[in-house]
Amino acid sequence: MSILAYNGGAMVAMKGENCVAIAADRRFGIQAQTLATNFEKVFEMGPHLYVGLPGLATDTQTVREKLRFRKNLYELKENRLMSPKVFSAMLSHMLYEKRFGPFFVEPVVAGLDPKTYEPFICNMDLIGCINQPKDFVVGGTASAQLYGMCEALWEPNLGPEDLFETISQALINAFDRDAVSGWGATVYIIEKDKVTIKNLKTRMD
Amino acid sequence: MSLVVKPNFPDYQTAPVQRGFNPYADNGGSVVAIAGDDFVIIGADTRLSAGFSIYTREQNKLFPLSSTTVLGCSGCWCDTLTLTRILKSRMQMYQQEHNKTMSTTACAQMLSTMLYYKRFFPYYISNVLVGLDNDGKGVVYSYDPIGHCEKRTHRAGGSAGALLQPLLDNQIGKKNMLNVKEEPVSQQRALSIIKDVFISAAERDIYTGDSILINIITKDGIKEETFQLRKD
Amino acid sequence: MFSAPPFWQNGPAPGSFYDFPNMQPQVQPNDFRQHTQSPVTTSTSLVAVTYDKGIIIAGDLLASYGSLARYRNCPRIVKVNNNIILGSSGDYADFQYVQNFIEQKVISDECLDDGITLKPKSLYCWLTRILYNRRSKMDPLWNNFIVAGIQDGEPFLGTVDKQGTAYSDKIICTGYGAHIATPMLRDALDNKPQLTQAEARAQVERCMEVLYYRDARSFPKYQLGIIDADQGVSIEGPLQVAQNWSVAHSIKGY
Repeated sequence: MSILAYNGGAMVAMKGENCVAIAADRRFGIQAQTLATNFEKVFEMGPHLYVGLPGLATDTQTVREKLRFRKNLYELKENRLMSPKVFSAMLSHMLYEKRFGPFFVEPVVAGLDPKTYEPFICNMDLIGCINQPKDFVVGGTASAQLYGMCEALWEPNLGPEDLFETISQALINAFDRDAVSGWGATVYIIEKDKVTIKNLKTRMD
Repeated sequence: MSLVVKPNFPDYQTAPVQRGFNPYADNGGSVVAIAGDDFVIIGADTRLSAGFSIYTREQNKLFPLSSTTVLGCSGCWCDTLTLTRILKSRMQMYQQEHNKTMSTTACAQMLSTMLYYKRFFPYYISNVLVGLDNDGKGVVYSYDPIGHCEKRTHRAGGSAGALLQPLLDNQIGKKNMLNVKEEPVSQQRALSIIKDVFISAAERDIYTGDSILINIITKDGIKEETFQLRKD
Repeated sequence: MFSAPPFWQNGPAPGSFYDFPNMQPQVQPNDFRQHTQSPVTTSTSLVAVTYDKGIIIAGDLLASYGSLARYRNCPRIVKVNNNIILGSSGDYADFQYVQNFIEQKVISDECLDDGITLKPKSLYCWLTRILYNRRSKMDPLWNNFIVAGIQDGEPFLGTVDKQGTAYSDKIICTGYGAHIATPMLRDALDNKPQLTQAEARAQVERCMEVLYYRDARSFPKYQLGIIDADQGVSIEGPLQVAQNWSVAHSIKGY
């Protein structure tokens, strides 16, 4: 079994019309045993910037702290907010530094540009290879299921309400077919002047 | 644990080199089946491949066993050829012994037994058996390679099974939807869902594509239909 | 059996290796009844394409011994009867073994004198079973066979590999040809779905030329098998690949 699947987890981010959404499950487990159902995998990195770190839970938290440190240092030095694009490049470099002893996370970045409010999504593999498509990105142990769901449900120019429905249905139905993710979900809808966070009730088995 | 790092000098190996022969091949392919009240639909893509090569773009993976039963196979193609030939002869033997055609439920049980018979050298196939039961109701049976059998209303199997199954759970099984009416799926809707899910699968699964062959089984017989998918 | 004593204490004996301390344990096979071999004397690609009234199949005459071009006149496209051509790539010894019992079968069919001969689809199906049964014994025949024939007036082209994987198509190429010749022929058939015999032959000759340039185990001498609904079976050859090395001097730098 891959170490990336040791704790389990599902992650997805989607672009909409002037908004983006990122969603993840809430399970924390060790292989088949569920230990907690309130585990956060998505982290706020700025007013319009969120990063999801599915993979090995210990690395999720380590990478989150390293990112927070580097992002704070950037903002103190430069006295401006970090754009999602710069943040992703920084994360990618950070992961590639550990090319031969990597952090076992497959990050997903979602946000709006601090100046233009242009939607941004990307994901990368555990050594920082960035993929930046125009529709959606997925990560974690349910990625095959998520690809199938998103490929069928996603459509261009979704408004915030429709985007919420789409991403929620995609995530929930995907992780219901994955044994090591699920047990609740959190969805972040990021718009220009508000970020909506919703905790979803899902089947708990 | 020993702290001594053991040296490894391949040139000094005196043990004979064991060359592996893999009797199995992954020839890809996906099968999707949906059962309704008085019909059942099964679809399979027509791409036969191995690794990064496409062997042929027009391989039928649906095998009619009787006028009311069809088997869809994906996985190891040489095992599929063997299994379906044995199944065909077993159908004929039953017909001649009992002077009647085997029912879908009997076929389902026989397939499970035949798969388990090779428990320790299995047929590496993802099987989906569909048909009409004795009351004329559509049924779908799905199997693992060693004969575990499950009856269900919708099933996606094969290389894109993981991509498609949650979509069917949502659209056919009405999972995670509030305030939905419990009504049986219509033939038209089942057909359009099968086409939609294959389009999605062809986007992300390299072993699924080219075209799909669909069998619609009703009391009037088996109707065939084809539908083109992307060919890259 | 005589064995000399080691040169020094715990040292190597004449003709044997020094036993390094802490070496990784050498894995001995625990089951000596192991059949699985690997191919020894091998032949490379086959190229086959269907045209409006028949099939053309080509393969070179080389049987290699690893990278050594060992035997340079080994025909591997053979006539089975008046409506079947059989081609083989892979192990040449296994091909000769299979060829032998197919010939026996054709002779015993002939002896029945009922006018019934082996049909292409029957041979194809039979080969599928033979190869599948051998793979199930973990003792495969290391070949890729191509069966080309005319059945009920229609061309039939099918292939079987060492695992028993079998399929039929309008274009079939084996070995390196599957990567180089198949795309060329598929392109030709996309442009014109029904080739004439002359067009098909031109395509196959072009494939043999490209394969000769790019496949290191290929050979310029080859045979061409044609089976036609009207003209029957003919095996032509040895033919020579039309070579053109005039651009070779400009390829440098890598």
